[in-house]
Amino acid sequence: MDTALDIVLKFAAITVAFVVVLLVVAYTVLAERRVLGFIQGRLGPNRVGPGGLFQPFADLLKFILKEDIVPDKSTRFVYVLAPVIATMAALMTMIVYPFGPEIRIPFTSITIPLVVAHFDIGLLYVLGITSIGVYGIMLAGWSSNNKYSLMGGLRSSAQMISYELALGLSLIGVIMLAGTLDLAQIVDLQSGWHGTRWFILFQPLGFVLYMIAAIAETNRVPFDLPEAETELVAGFHTEYSAMKFALFFLAEYINMFTVSMLATTLFLGGWNVPFIDTFLERGTFLFGLVSALGFLVKVIFFLFMYIWIRGTLPRFRFDQLMNFGWKILLPLALLNIFLTATIIYFFPNF
Amino acid sequence: MLTLLFILFAGMAIGCGLAVVAQRNPLYSAISLVGVFISLACLYVMLAAPFIAAVQVIVYAGAIMVLVVFVIMLLNVEQEERGRNRLKFLVPTAVVLAAVLIAEVAFILFSVTNPTPAVSNIGLSSSIGTQLFTRYLLPFEITSILLLMAIVGAMTLARRGGLLSNEARLIPGAQQLPRSLVDPRAAPDDLRLVETDSTVEAGHLLGIDQRNTPKD
Amino acid sequence: MEPQLSWYLALSAVLFTIGVTGVIIKRNVIAMFMCIELMLNAVNLTFVAFASFFQDVIGQLFVFIVMTVAAAEAAVGLGIIIAIFRNRESLDVDEASILKL
Repeated sequence: MDTALDIVLKFAAITVAFVVVLLVVAYTVLAERRVLGFIQGRLGPNRVGPGGLFQPFADLLKFILKEDIVPDKSTRFVYVLAPVIATMAALMTMIVYPFGPEIRIPFTSITIPLVVAHFDIGLLYVLGITSIGVYGIMLAGWSSNNKYSLMGGLRSSAQMISYELALGLSLIGVIMLAGTLDLAQIVDLQSGWHGTRWFILFQPLGFVLYMIAAIAETNRVPFDLPEAETELVAGFHTEYSAMKFALFFLAEYINMFTVSMLATTLFLGGWNVPFIDTFLERGTFLFGLVSALGFLVKVIFFLFMYIWIRGTLPRFRFDQLMNFGWKILLPLALLNIFLTATIIYFFPNF
Repeated sequence: MLTLLFILFAGMAIGCGLAVVAQRNPLYSAISLVGVFISLACLYVMLAAPFIAAVQVIVYAGAIMVLVVFVIMLLNVEQEERGRNRLKFLVPTAVVLAAVLIAEVAFILFSVTNPTPAVSNIGLSSSIGTQLFTRYLLPFEITSILLLMAIVGAMTLARRGGLLSNEARLIPGAQQLPRSLVDPRAAPDDLRLVETDSTVEAGHLLGIDQRNTPKD
Repeated sequence: MEPQLSWYLALSAVLFTIGVTGVIIKRNVIAMFMCIELMLNAVNLTFVAFASFFQDVIGQLFVFIVMTVAAAEAAVGLGIIIAIFRNRESLDVDEASILKL
């Protein structure tokens, strides 16, 4: 099959992706607390380290050292399995996103693509793994043997499977434009032309629908009724403590990161930085680095939008939420598909 | 290498399949069934069918089993008890007959010649999509009508009662109600009367919110 | 050597037989339903194996249709199970063997 060098490179790529994800997520937690503080007229945590930059490590230490409480009557196996499923499903989607173009390591002749795994069904893979993530929440709600957890778990999973539909349908417009499910090729199709071929210009309605469905999918405000503290104690993770709660927390932020990366890849052109072609040439190491940084900047923009929306909007009631998902988002997504198909049929300009 | 992967995924599929049958708690059976689906999806990828593998995970593992686990949680299904008034020899007989069936199938399978496996491109979404929309369009459209039928059927089954409209109100006083309105298991044309002593009791029986009824 | 067609068909037969055994042994209606889904998946594996070894895409298309039908059947079947549960308060098939409430 592959040589040993390929296997080593793959492991290195997986490790790098893993480390990058964990670092970004840890600092997203900190950024959320700071930015929410600024929106609400106060400072966030700024004691630990310069400006609070070591706060995530303090949080991690706290989570590891806390006492691990397991409720008495819960089914032990499922109780431990649930955060594992949630975190695994969140992490497994990392491998299909292209972080940058092919780069050539300086002083050698090895070219490595900056994507860990290159599938030709990349987008379907992401949708599939997102569907598996619902199990973590349902099993957590059930196995805690607590009626608030059960209600929170059932509501949360009902919300997630309802908005998965709108999510998938809003992406069909992009798939029709690109003609492929392969994420690296979708990014390649948006390159060149200095940002005027990014899919957000061709699919504005799809983009808006995708963002709303994505916020609902990751259980964030304004769709976070199932885990809001004032509503259902803490929803499905009421009975979880220490490391298991940390895994759920981590899974939620990794989901946010994943969804932002998907939005960047599909709508904002992935790693394409607009006027980079005039300064650097493709294929060099510096080009790859700048592209990867551009990708990161766009993802951080989306994460900031998430935090901004959290600080600004009130939350939906559960029946309003389901109403919105089924009666408003779903028809709009179908309308988007119809319009895109009509326009492609009459103006084959791609 | 491929053989190793096949043995791994096949072992997982058979192990989880046995767990589905052997577990007494239906929730554990459901989780094992999800394990079967995921290992089958990995086998489909080995068989050059990546699109079908992704659809298997999305539809079976991600939607159908979520629905089944929902129902198990909502209905609060408990574990099966050990066989009470069952024929005692049923389980061992089933297992023995199953083993005989497997032996027969294995004998037939291993005495025929195998076609040569080749790396193929047939499972990509583009080839499936092309065939599905040109040559096999009619089954595709009929499938969509089938799904519509299933949606309508599921919604009809899930509706509760419904003989009274949302605007129904009670006129105060002692009531005489036909049995069909009160008892959901009676026939719709069962007109034997149920006498209630007060408007409140009638409201409880019919499920009408008393605050909407007009006062004298 | 690479996995042969007969290996895949044997695995499919084993899964199918496990499903049949489950339908016979189990007393809970939802567990029986899950064993039926196991049988359907065994048949799906057969179709995909044949499609791969004989280079014809019709096998995979048929799997697509089978999955759709299984989804429709799951929705309606679970609706029926819930309706039965509302009337009988129990999901035991042996107790429901006479069709009297």
